[in-house]
Amino acid sequence: MKPVMTFALMTLRSLLRRRTIWGISIVILLALFGIGQIPGYDVSNEGRFILDFGLFGLEIGALLLAIGLAANIYPRDREQKTVMPLIAIPLSRGQYLMGRFIGAAMVQAAAMLVGCIGLMVILLLNGHPIPADLFPATCLLLVEGWFLLAVVFFFSFWTSPPLNAPLTVLLFILSQMSVSGFISILPGAEGFMRFLRLLLPHMDVFHIKDPIAHGVGIPGVYFLLAALYGLAYMSFMLSIALAVFRSRDLK
Amino acid sequence: MKYLSLIVLLALITLTGCRADYDIEEVAPPEHLAETHEHDHVHTETEDHHEHDDEECSICAETHDQEHVHEHDDDAISASDRHVHEAGERNHGTEWFFNQPWAARFIWSKMIRDIVILTVLAAIILLASRFRLRKKR
Repeated sequence: MKPVMTFALMTLRSLLRRRTIWGISIVILLALFGIGQIPGYDVSNEGRFILDFGLFGLEIGALLLAIGLAANIYPRDREQKTVMPLIAIPLSRGQYLMGRFIGAAMVQAAAMLVGCIGLMVILLLNGHPIPADLFPATCLLLVEGWFLLAVVFFFSFWTSPPLNAPLTVLLFILSQMSVSGFISILPGAEGFMRFLRLLLPHMDVFHIKDPIAHGVGIPGVYFLLAALYGLAYMSFMLSIALAVFRSRDLK
Repeated sequence: MKYLSLIVLLALITLTGCRADYDIEEVAPPEHLAETHEHDHVHTETEDHHEHDDEECSICAETHDQEHVHEHDDDAISASDRHVHEAGERNHGTEWFFNQPWAARFIWSKMIRDIVILTVLAAIILLASRFRLRKKR
């Protein structure tokens, strides 16, 4: 585990040196600031809109962060030939993947935390109370972001870098669809579409912005269940990514 | 290892419990969806409206030879249909809200099922890829 954590910290430092992460974080904060500027037009509970749009902004931010952080890690390592000496002696392929993933996941967690604090500040500046479930809701979006990060790693091993982002966005959109909506894409092959949908996660599991915005309480056990659900999908995706990486000939 | 993986995969494909997806409207028990059609709401028909109806009725009665037929125009119908639900309750207007996973407890067991299946699948894929890598070497 020690080599993985050392490599994860190396990844963390190298990612923080890149401008991508800072650019995406600034875009998220600017978007949140913009959401805070939406006039209320004397509508009661204006805070609902800020919360709703704010959490949606954080979700899109998690997607952008996943693509921005991980899409170029492996292709760059391969291009600069740094992956060969790494997996030759000190690290196995699994440790390489885990180190890279944990480093990127830590950066994503920090960025989401900053986004959550930004949303809290905007709510306070507009005179609205901060809901107690806002932080757990952001944690669920972070788990969703980690799943997307694993998807980006999988695509980076499996396909070329220009295809990585569109495929991840496509998977993100398809995972938002209901089963009936997904089948309606290809109604002639209902069984096949049902099977495909079964493999994709239900992203609505991570969406709790509606109850938070309307002040409806959510059972504590649900947060745990939804987090485990996201982590299970993440580990499934990482295992597929590792299987693809192990089958790759790096010469 | 190979056979064990095959058996687990076949079991996942053939067992209906593993294949059932959870589009909430599809798998919801009848009592969950039935709540939508219950009309335990409060009508906002006011006293003024009743008085107005009574006035209309008296006019009708005069013009139509004492007939007690309550003919409402379209506005009157929509006004009498207006009703208020208790806040935070499932009804025909809020079913989208309560058809989300956090509110539909009956799919939580399916979420646990998915967690177990995905963890098992991840372990099988990891072991199979390691086995393949060792064989290659």
